[in-house]
Amino acid sequence: MVKTSSVTKLKKQENYIGYLFASPWLIGLIVLGIFPIFMSLYFSFTNYNMISAPTWVGFTNYRILFTNDDLFWKSLGNTVYHVMIAVPLGIIVGIALALLLNSKVKGMSIYRTMFYLPNVVSVVAMTLLWLWLFQPNFGLINQLLSPFYKLFNLEPLGWYLDQNMSKMTLILMGLWTAGGSMVIYLAQMQDIPVTLYESAEIDGAGWFKKTIHITLPLMTPSIFFNFIMGLIGSFQVFTIAYIMTNGGPSRSTYYYAYYLFDKMMNDNAMGMASAMAWILLVMVLIVTIVALRLNKFVFYLGEET
Amino acid sequence: MEATVVKIKYKSRKRRRLITAIILHIVLIACSFVFVFPFLWMLFTALKTPAELLQGIQVFFPQTPQWGNFLLAMQRIPFFLYLKNSLIVVVLVVIGTVFSATTAAYAFAKLRWKGRDKWFIVMLATMMLPIQVILIPTYVMYNWVGWLGTRLPLIVPAFFGGGAAFYIFLTRQFFLGVPKELTESAIIDGANHFQIFIKIMLPLSKPAITTVALFTFMGAWNDYFGPLIFLSNPDHWTLALGLRSFQTQYGGQYNLMMAASILIMLPTLIMFFFAQKTFIEGIKFTGIKG
Repeated sequence: MVKTSSVTKLKKQENYIGYLFASPWLIGLIVLGIFPIFMSLYFSFTNYNMISAPTWVGFTNYRILFTNDDLFWKSLGNTVYHVMIAVPLGIIVGIALALLLNSKVKGMSIYRTMFYLPNVVSVVAMTLLWLWLFQPNFGLINQLLSPFYKLFNLEPLGWYLDQNMSKMTLILMGLWTAGGSMVIYLAQMQDIPVTLYESAEIDGAGWFKKTIHITLPLMTPSIFFNFIMGLIGSFQVFTIAYIMTNGGPSRSTYYYAYYLFDKMMNDNAMGMASAMAWILLVMVLIVTIVALRLNKFVFYLGEET
Repeated sequence: MEATVVKIKYKSRKRRRLITAIILHIVLIACSFVFVFPFLWMLFTALKTPAELLQGIQVFFPQTPQWGNFLLAMQRIPFFLYLKNSLIVVVLVVIGTVFSATTAAYAFAKLRWKGRDKWFIVMLATMMLPIQVILIPTYVMYNWVGWLGTRLPLIVPAFFGGGAAFYIFLTRQFFLGVPKELTESAIIDGANHFQIFIKIMLPLSKPAITTVALFTFMGAWNDYFGPLIFLSNPDHWTLALGLRSFQTQYGGQYNLMMAASILIMLPTLIMFFFAQKTFIEGIKFTGIKG
């Protein structure tokens, strides 16, 4: 009897101590996370410039954005374009690099280090570097391409100065950091049991067949992870455009997060900016849920035997 | 007769393998070139004169390396002020994140408390939240308490687990690997959870804590968006903001701009070279376990 009561006392104590240890993070989560989410929902139904108190306007902000704001649609279109190209391209390049390194090649870890290197660099420094590389007149890339331009009688590409190329330029620059996801793919590839490949070899499968039927299916968890994280990140693309193009030319790289930033920092339109943030949240949520539905195509090694 | 056929087959197989290996290396070297050469070009550019810049690849290497460009770049902006500001923010963010990540990880890994598993899922979900949704209200809140224009909005959240979800997860996995017997025998010896945490868990978890510290350092050092929003006072600007102001003021002077960019990249590059393994292991961890 005495014993059980001391056990419950210990359990109660552990409960308190658990909350105590979690409390720095937990307080942060509530004050700087959960509460602000609801606050921004409230703001999204108000006019608020941070000077006078917020005034309730109902759905006006949302209505203006959807029906009477060309820039909203323009920036949303730019962002969707960016997401639809950058995410799949990033996955393909990441997997391709990992497949190259997975072939028991000598010096694998040296190559891996070199491929990963761009990921440790500040985004500002990276963007300035590529601004110089893509510089149409004196930049390295057009200089290297100039023989091709001459051969086919082409005008040199304008890259970030050409409104039809600017988004693609930013996407190409983003591929420079594909080594980050490559490390994840490679790690998962190397976890695949050798016996699977050996039995496939006995059945006469070559490299291509092994890749299609063993490697890629068993990599779906990390592909899925990078897909979701890539989607969420790409929907928020901002800094590279802010530094490389200022959203131009002709607003061709004026992304959703950029417009939101301007609403918030330049116009002090906190209500409108909050409405945009909530629209973004809902979009990301929908895309994530749809992607999670695709989860049934994901193949977990532990489960299939 | 049969033996020679086998021999020839063996030889041709060996040769084919050699050829694939050579092709593979050629492809890999070409890829490495794409990833590494921009860094070298950055250095060449930083060491050129303005006249050499205009000649593109006609002048591939700088004729006489202009090492003075680095000094010039440091004089164009208050470099050491920005360096000091960066260090203040980065050091405090690293300390804060290690503190909040390890304490929360201990609660999730070694203690039983009500709602623990539900909070754990909430923590994982926070990783997916677009930052803008909480940015605007926190900006407004910092305005209320008079923190706008100070460094506090960048530093204080770190002590309360701001942006630490992944690090909590990583440290928790590490703590789970610490044998139960160790902590239980400590309890029998009369130790309380604070003593166990400080005297057993933290010393045993040096690899995990190093990983957290390294990643946080890199994230805070390279961060541009946070300082852009919160550091309105130029006296508080970090190097990332300084580099951007360099661009807006001296945009055409690519040699100096590259010199300044190299200076800001150097600490993270050096760190990466010395702690490569920790990095790669940490990255692998994100993908596989996550």
